[in-house]
Amino acid sequence: MHIPDGILPAAVSVAGYATTGAATWYSLRRINRKENPQESIPRASLLTAAFFVASWIHIPIPPTSVHLVLNGLLGAVLGYYAFPAILIGLFFQAVMFQHGGLTTLGVNATVMGVPALLAYHVFRLRNVVVRRGDPGDRPHQVWTGVFGFLAGSGGLGISALMALILLITTVPAHLDVEVERASVYALAVAHIPLMVLEGIFTALVVLFLQRVRPELLED
Amino acid sequence: MKWKLILPFALLFSLGLTMTAFAHGARIEYTISMAVEILATYDTGEPMAGGQVTVYAPDDPSIPWLTGVCDEEGRFAFTPDTSKPGTWDVQVRQSGHGDMVHIPIGEDMAVSGGTGHTTLQIVLMGACIAWGFVGTALFFSRKPALSLPKGGPDAHS
Repeated sequence: MHIPDGILPAAVSVAGYATTGAATWYSLRRINRKENPQESIPRASLLTAAFFVASWIHIPIPPTSVHLVLNGLLGAVLGYYAFPAILIGLFFQAVMFQHGGLTTLGVNATVMGVPALLAYHVFRLRNVVVRRGDPGDRPHQVWTGVFGFLAGSGGLGISALMALILLITTVPAHLDVEVERASVYALAVAHIPLMVLEGIFTALVVLFLQRVRPELLED
Repeated sequence: MKWKLILPFALLFSLGLTMTAFAHGARIEYTISMAVEILATYDTGEPMAGGQVTVYAPDDPSIPWLTGVCDEEGRFAFTPDTSKPGTWDVQVRQSGHGDMVHIPIGEDMAVSGGTGHTTLQIVLMGACIAWGFVGTALFFSRKPALSLPKGGPDAHS
């Protein structure tokens, strides 16, 4: 879902940088408000490495193939650290492997990072649904799993939707517009099984962390 | 009348009238034109079958010089106008993914080329970057008592 250079018009790329700048400013502000902002950097760094490597893991979904994104997982576990983490991960992917692009860095960061922050808030809803008693009790575990699944699948789903809308509305006129639109639709639909997969994976990870080291989950 | 003298001349004269068509010399000119063939694949190795191709000539990089479609194997061939030397840009795009290759035509031409890295390069780069992230994690998880005063490394007591 990384949009490469040369695909989007310049105005959209500039707008993407503007939205990413605003979201980065806001995320850093929220991070700064914590008593010890540096405490979460180790896990943010490790999850950035996971995000960076995830795009190499291709899952063939005929007739195309998709790759893991993990933005929902980053949002659920890292909270506001997820946006800078995704931005940094995308930067290295663009510079090293031309996966995505530098002119489209802003657009890609917004498309993948903002749904990660939404996934964080969805995951936090578990505290509204069940009061946080003993972290090992059954209802708490079930709701953690459920909201973990929603965060993981929703993060990817909203990203795919945003990318779909962006690509469909900006096809240049000198191309065969209908063919390009149809292939973008097909790729977006291929992400639906991936949504389920990432939802399950996110649920498993947060359940594991909840049981073993609950302080690692950002709340 | 001396017909014996005049008749051959009259015959030659009438032949001369028709000879004007055969009197030109011949010329042959040659120019070398070549086909450029591109092969577009995803980084998994699958071809970009049906991908849309746009070719830009060096003299106007903003207006497409030629558009077309890749075949089932991701191939597309075209003949650039060799009177326009310079860098020809060929972009292939499909479902929002794509790439652009820059082909020099003219004085300095290579026989083949492409974009992308070898697998070894990718693995090495990936390992370096992953180590960068892991090292950052290790740095920030050092025990705070010895090296990190409360509030971060820039705080002065």
